[in-house]
Amino acid sequence: MVRPDRQLQPHSSLQSNIIGNVNHATVISTVFALIIINKAGGLIYNRTFHEGGLNKISTNDYLVLAGTFHGVHAITARLNPLKPITNPNRTSTTSTFPSSTPNPNTGTPNPSATPNSSVPSVPSTSGGSYLTRPDPPAGLEVLETENFRMQCFTTLTGTKFLLFTDTTQANVDLTMRRVYDMYADYVMKNPFYQLEMPVRCDMFERKLGSYIREINNR
Amino acid sequence: MVVYSFYIFDRHTECIYSKTWLPTTATAHDPQATGASHQLRASTADDAKLIFGTVFSLRNMVRKLGGDDDAFVSYRTAHYKLHFYETASSLRLVMLTDTATLSMRNVLHQIYINLWVEYVVKNPLSPVEHKAGAGVKNELFELGLDQFVRGLM
Repeated sequence: MVRPDRQLQPHSSLQSNIIGNVNHATVISTVFALIIINKAGGLIYNRTFHEGGLNKISTNDYLVLAGTFHGVHAITARLNPLKPITNPNRTSTTSTFPSSTPNPNTGTPNPSATPNSSVPSVPSTSGGSYLTRPDPPAGLEVLETENFRMQCFTTLTGTKFLLFTDTTQANVDLTMRRVYDMYADYVMKNPFYQLEMPVRCDMFERKLGSYIREINNR
Repeated sequence: MVVYSFYIFDRHTECIYSKTWLPTTATAHDPQATGASHQLRASTADDAKLIFGTVFSLRNMVRKLGGDDDAFVSYRTAHYKLHFYETASSLRLVMLTDTATLSMRNVLHQIYINLWVEYVVKNPLSPVEHKAGAGVKNELFELGLDQFVRGLM
């Protein structure tokens, strides 16, 4: 994948002017910190790359923050305002929806109007939805504040990568992707690493450090 | 852009106003219209609580990390985007929109200045504390908000 910011800059005269005058490229891409949260909400890795971007807080506060974020992330996934429209099937399995409502997937009403006499062999997730893949994690992805921007990437197994950057940072997706690659390569492939435990891998530290330093000095 | 819903929370963390602009909820499942709307009302009450909890936690988290002057502006998920604006008097305005929407901070600020201050604060009949939304649901405010938001869409 090419870096779109590098590709696009020459086209926008305004931006190229700004970048031509001052070396704003360094300001544009500053990665402040990385936090990794395991699937239980425990903090397994945190590292600050840039002093002055974020307040210094104690390790204990980081642990609290990780736990809080884990909870908030779960709630944000449930707050989807479109849920009655996009997947009525999934909600109807647990809600008090009467079974005589038309099945949205097949468009046919359930065969019986009496709720309890429906065929037991038909699972409640009717309409073949059990054949489809599960929805990707749908929680918070980007958080914006006045001073920083936080990108959250949730893996399919529930590990969360939180990347704190400058507010104007572009292309965080790519950075995140690289960080995840490194995690896969140097943490998950480390035979001495215990799953869900704090990450203490020299190789990961070194590679990550040099990669982020390269971004911050660009 | 699409606006899904809008909430106002007072400084006592109570939801004093909520409104949704979900287009299809009114027509969804005609036979169960009453049941569905009942369910919808229950879910909006729950949603308001969840939204407040989320916004409150995130605001505290942001203040801890970004300093006391930092303010939480918005977050985005795969399905929606939530915008947040807090006034100096701890009135919190929250708006849920689709993901493509840009920052709505100034819009929320406009709602505060042009609608809230004009029609709720300056209304002599409106109480100081809006217990259970008292004084907020007046006609001018409702109408103005609806027009303003529909003008955005």
